[in-house]
Amino acid sequence: MATYDSLFSALGLKEWCAEGKQDGPMSMADLLAKAKGDNAEPESLWDFPFPSMDVLNDSCAAFPQSRELTKGLEQGFLAVKDNLSLVLDPMTQPLSWALDGALYGMLTVPWWIIIPIMLAIVFLVTRSWKLVTFVAVSICLLAFIDYYEYAMQTLAIIFVCAFLCVLLGVPIGIAMSRSDTMQRLTIPILDMLQTLPPFVYLIPLIFLFSVTESKLYGIAIILYAIVPVVRLTNLGIRLVDKDVIEAADAFGMTPRQKLFKVQIPLALPNIMAGVNQTIMMSLAMVVIASLVSAPGLGVLVLRGIRNLELGVGLVSGLGIVILAVILDRVTKASLARINASQNQ
Amino acid sequence: MANDIKISIKNLYKIFGPTPDVALEYVKRGMNKADLLDKQNHVLGLRDINVDILDGKITVIMGLSGSGKSTLIRHLNRLIEPTAGEIRLDGKDVLELNEEQLRQLRREQMSMVFQKFALLPHKTVLENAGMALNIRGSEVADFEQEAVKWLGRVGLEGNEQQYPHQLSGGMQQRVGIARALVSNSPVMLMDEAFSALDPLIRSDMQDLLLELQEELQKTIVFITHDLDEALKLSDHLVILKDGEVVQQGDPQDILLNPNDPYIVAFINDINRARVLRVRSIMKKHVDNDAEYAGDISERDNLETVLSRSGGDTDKVFRVVRKGEMVGSLCMKDLTRALVPTGVSTPNNHKG
Repeated sequence: MATYDSLFSALGLKEWCAEGKQDGPMSMADLLAKAKGDNAEPESLWDFPFPSMDVLNDSCAAFPQSRELTKGLEQGFLAVKDNLSLVLDPMTQPLSWALDGALYGMLTVPWWIIIPIMLAIVFLVTRSWKLVTFVAVSICLLAFIDYYEYAMQTLAIIFVCAFLCVLLGVPIGIAMSRSDTMQRLTIPILDMLQTLPPFVYLIPLIFLFSVTESKLYGIAIILYAIVPVVRLTNLGIRLVDKDVIEAADAFGMTPRQKLFKVQIPLALPNIMAGVNQTIMMSLAMVVIASLVSAPGLGVLVLRGIRNLELGVGLVSGLGIVILAVILDRVTKASLARINASQNQ
Repeated sequence: MANDIKISIKNLYKIFGPTPDVALEYVKRGMNKADLLDKQNHVLGLRDINVDILDGKITVIMGLSGSGKSTLIRHLNRLIEPTAGEIRLDGKDVLELNEEQLRQLRREQMSMVFQKFALLPHKTVLENAGMALNIRGSEVADFEQEAVKWLGRVGLEGNEQQYPHQLSGGMQQRVGIARALVSNSPVMLMDEAFSALDPLIRSDMQDLLLELQEELQKTIVFITHDLDEALKLSDHLVILKDGEVVQQGDPQDILLNPNDPYIVAFINDINRARVLRVRSIMKKHVDNDAEYAGDISERDNLETVLSRSGGDTDKVFRVVRKGEMVGSLCMKDLTRALVPTGVSTPNNHKG
């Protein structure tokens, strides 16, 4: 006898309920309840239960339990999984190649070539000797304590993923800025990607791809880090001075000319701010992605946690901070250069 | 060339709102702007505008903010689509153009100068000036000569490689004007082009525009809220109020014969001596009989004449145009013309 028995009898569903009577596997809670024997109606209004799936199941066996919902979801996912990976696998294969190639390249080319190249890039985008010195000192410090390899792996993954984020994110942002419908459809997805806990990305991906493939963490990082560049591209283009757009129209620019000659150049400061955020978020995710075999400093952090190696954990954590500071300062400095060249 | 109609606007209506066609019927039946907003929730932008814009002349459209003047000028190149009416450029209906033809019109027939300059901040002055040609597919090397020429003409020699933010407001607007000139379009639309500039620079820019116009004879449609500016620049003045034309015609004529209290209120504030010109109050004749105190140009304003006369009201000046006598101006007439006019007393001073 349970609380909502009367409801089902009032609705005339007694027979339907009885059909569902079966001795399926019991949950732990059911077993405990049975053992205690408190399957009776609540004594006071205070204990009156919410008509949840499990409570209704008590009264009517044919009513599904809530665990069937999660189980159904899982089964559904498993059912489409094979077909899905048939499509997704070849589509995402280049990502694996890119990641593996970048990792291989970063690690095979000797340090005395890689480090100068990186410093040259830093100088090219920032034109600041101070930053170049800072980056040089930081990387040499990491190399000196034998963390060079891990740091380079992390950087390689970030470069590939951030590059792909920009490659995919900017066009999506542009599409959003040009169509309100597109914006309405995309914003909820972006909101979801941004609020979903980073670990949750990994769960369906583990089912879809093999853990040995690098695209697994590549996809997780891209999904997590693409949001800011999409948002800020959209925002940047929408914020372009209406007067300048009107001038572009009045002088007869085609929509294409308007996009490339006016909107993108004027939105560039915002787009670059998005790229900065994207890079920082890739760094955050690459650490978490070490759970699914992403190489790099994250592996050391994980080792620190798993084996309680306090020193390793702390030093690798510090290494991540150093990488974060480098990436942030370098992208901010190049952003400042863009801003300086076009403040009105 | 002179006095041909370049652009003709006929029965133009613009109503902003979700169902302008429905609201248009109410407006045509005579509903006024306030009622339309109250009862129909539509904003009346323009009501029954009929203006002919003459080739090679400066037509000034004047009105306070909200009078619809910026809306009107944007109809000419269809940055705003009208609700009803027609706009003809050289006799062809602008409203029938498809997207490509419209783009062609904006590229080759009409250029525009904006209140807030609207220059591309990431391009140099030179590239901004050549924008119209760049849009048509020319590279910097192709339009450089043309752009440098016009930049020099508006007084920006040597600034070609600077960026707009390095220039003052007045200089930025000079770039805006150069940009319109480089496009080499016969029609120039100027939307409050000088309103954002301080008074001294504004006056310089007005002089520059008049000087350029003397030489180029473009068809210019100029929007302003400043009556002094309107009177200084216009060959044909259109006064808008609440989306309707209250009066249009020769500016001197409007000044001497205002037909609406709104215009009277406007012109009471201005310095008549500076705005009125000799040609609108002189006596027209060619006989060189009487004794004259001196020669004045028909385009001089009364202030100049006043200072020439030294305040003596007995003097009579000979009025000349390009060295030939066209009439005379008696100082007494001049003094009379300075008396403020009311709306109900048509006070025609034309001899």
